[in-house]
Amino acid sequence: MVDQPLWQQCLYRLESELTPQQLNTWIRPLHAIEDGGSIRLLAPNRFVLEWVNERLIGQITNILSQLGDGAAPQISLEIGSKSVQIQVAGASKPAFRRAADVVTDAPVSNLRQEFTFDNFVEGNSNQLAVAASMQVGENPGGAYNPLFIYGGVGLGKTHLMHAIGHMMIARKPNTRAVYLHSERFVADMVKALQHNAINEFKRFYRSVDALLIDDIQFFAGKERSQEELFHTFNALMEGRQQIIMTCDRYPKEVKGLEERLKSRFGWGLTVAIEPPELETRVAILMSKAAQSDVVLPHEVAFLIAERLHANIREMEGALRRVVANSRFTGRPITLEFAKEALRDLLALHAKLVSIENIQKIVAEYYKIRVADLLSKRRSRSVARPRQIAMSLAKELTTHSLPEIGDAFGGRDHTTVLHACRKIKELKDCDRRINEDCANLLRTLSS
Amino acid sequence: MMVDFAKSPQLPLGIALREVASFKNFIAGQNGEAVAWLRRAIGGADERIFFLWGESGAGKSHLLQAVCREITALSEPAAYLPLAQLPEVSPTMLNGMDALGAVCVDDVETVAGNAAWEEALFHLFNRIRDNNKMLVVAGRSAPAQLPLRLADLRSRLGWGAVCQIKALDDDGKMQAMQQRARGRGLELPDDVAAFLLRHYRRDTGNLFALLDRLDETSLIAQRRLTIPFVKTIIDQ
Repeated sequence: MVDQPLWQQCLYRLESELTPQQLNTWIRPLHAIEDGGSIRLLAPNRFVLEWVNERLIGQITNILSQLGDGAAPQISLEIGSKSVQIQVAGASKPAFRRAADVVTDAPVSNLRQEFTFDNFVEGNSNQLAVAASMQVGENPGGAYNPLFIYGGVGLGKTHLMHAIGHMMIARKPNTRAVYLHSERFVADMVKALQHNAINEFKRFYRSVDALLIDDIQFFAGKERSQEELFHTFNALMEGRQQIIMTCDRYPKEVKGLEERLKSRFGWGLTVAIEPPELETRVAILMSKAAQSDVVLPHEVAFLIAERLHANIREMEGALRRVVANSRFTGRPITLEFAKEALRDLLALHAKLVSIENIQKIVAEYYKIRVADLLSKRRSRSVARPRQIAMSLAKELTTHSLPEIGDAFGGRDHTTVLHACRKIKELKDCDRRINEDCANLLRTLSS
Repeated sequence: MMVDFAKSPQLPLGIALREVASFKNFIAGQNGEAVAWLRRAIGGADERIFFLWGESGAGKSHLLQAVCREITALSEPAAYLPLAQLPEVSPTMLNGMDALGAVCVDDVETVAGNAAWEEALFHLFNRIRDNNKMLVVAGRSAPAQLPLRLADLRSRLGWGAVCQIKALDDDGKMQAMQQRARGRGLELPDDVAAFLLRHYRRDTGNLFALLDRLDETSLIAQRRLTIPFVKTIIDQ
C-alpha cells in the first residue's frame, strides 16, 4: 500500500470516510497527477470541480498531508483531463488546432477501421445509397457533392460514410478525410470562441479534402453553429472538396434548420436508406459473425433477424449476447441455445409480476375462480392450485410471507411456508405438478 | 456530575463502517456471465459498452460501483452517476466524462423523456465509443422498453452488451446478508437470517436496510442477534 501512489492511498482512506456514492460520483472521477511534492487534481467538468471544492477538498488535503509523512503536498484542483492538460501545458490550444497542426504535415484519419464497403451488406433497401457512395468514393468533389444520406436509426448511414472515406484514402493516400459527429462541430466551435481561436477553427475545417458530418439533425436550433456550418459548406463547395452528411430524415423535414442550409444540402445527391428486408438482415448477421470468427448456424441468424427487425444495432446486440453466452458456458450455438440465451431479449415486455396477476393466471389455468383461491375451501381441486399460486408468489415477487398469506384470504405465513415446501416436494415426484408449474412460470415471465 | 457508564447505552461511533461495493463482495447468483463480461472489459476486452437492466435491489448499483472501484485501482478515473439521486444536476454534468476510464450511469429511466438529458447521454455514448472507453448504463427495463424519446439513444443503448441482472434467490440473499453482517463484525445466525426472509420484504435493498438497523440497535443494546430480539426491533 505504501508503495502505491499517494492518490491511490487517499482513495482507500476515503472509502471508510465517505458514503460510497460521494466517493464514486465526485472523487473517483478526479484524475491525479503527482509530481514530487505537488498533486494536481483534474476534474472532468465545473460541476465536479465546484462540488469537491466546496465540500471535500479540506478532507482530501488532510489525508494527503498525513500520508505524505508530514510534508503537506501542494494540492491544486482544476478542470481538465490528462490529455487536454498536456496540450494546455504546451500551448493554450483547443483540440482542433492541434489536429490541424498535425494534418498539415501528414494526413490523419479518424475513420473507424471496421466500417468499409467490404463488410457492408447490400440489399434492396440500400442499393441506391451504396452505389452513390461508391461513386463519391471514386470521384470525390464531383457531381454528387454534397452527398446526403438519410434514414432511420441503426441502418448503416455512419458505416457508409466511413466506407466512402476509406475508399478515398485507398485511391489517393494523401486524402484528408475527417469524420465528426455534429455535436463535435458545435463543441469545437464553442471552444474556439472561448479561446479566441475562431480563425484556426475555420482554417481547419476548410482545409480538409472531405468533411463527413454525422447526424446533421443535431444542428437544429443552434443558430451560431449553423451560421458557421453555412460558411464552411460554401468554402468547401467552392474548393470542390467533398461533403458527406447523414441525417435521420429528409433535409427539408428537419425542424429548426435554416432554409438556406436545407436548400444547399439538396444541391448534390440525396439518398435514403430503408430498413433491410429479412434476407438482408440474415446476411448482415452472418457477415458480422464471420468478422468475429464465429460459426453461426443459419437458423440462429434467422431467429434473430426475424424477431428483432427494428434496426441493425439491436440485432448486433442480440448476436453479441448469444456469442458471449456460448463462450461463457462453453456450449455450441444452436437454435435451442440461442432461444434460451435471448429469452429475456425476445420477450416483448418484461412484465412486472404481482400477486394479483399470479392469482388470476393460476385460476384461469385450473379453470377455477380467484375467489376460490382466497376462500376457506380445502378440497384438493382448490387447495393445490392455491398452494401453487402461493409458491409462485414467493418465487416471483419480493413480498414477505405474511404479506402473501394476507393476499390469500388472510392466511398465516406458516401456511405459505407449508405450501412452498409442499409444492417443492411434489415437483420432484409428480410429473403433472412439475409441468403445471413450468407452464405457469412460462406464462407469467413471458 | 458522574456518568454511570454501566447504565448508559453504548452509542455507535459517528462514522459508520461504509459498505464498499466491489466484485469480491458481490454474490453473483445467476449473474455470473454479466460479472465475467464486465471484468473482461475492465481488463481491456473489446466489448466496452454495457446496459444492465433488472428490478430494483437486484444488484445493478453494486456492479456499477464495483466497476468504478476497479477502474480507479488501475489509476484511471471513473464516475458513478446515480441519476435518481442527483435531481439538482443538469446534463452538463456529463461534460468531459468521455475522457474517464469508465462512466457508470444508474437509474437511466429517471431522465427518459427529458430531451436535454437524452441528447447529452447520446453524445456521451458517441464520444465514449470513439475514445474506446468503458460505459455501463443501468435501468429498470431493457432499452427497447425504456420510455425514451430519442430513438438514436435507444438504438445505441441496445447496441452494447445488454444483460438482465436477476435478483438472488432466498439462499443467495441469506448468504449476502450474512456476508454483509460479517463485514461489520456482526454475527447473523442462520435461524435469524431465515426468520428475516420469512417475515420481511425480501428484496436485498430492504433486507440490507433492516440489517443496518439491527446492527445499530444490537450495538446500542449490546445484544447478540436472536429471533426474540429481532422481533422486538421489527415490532417497533
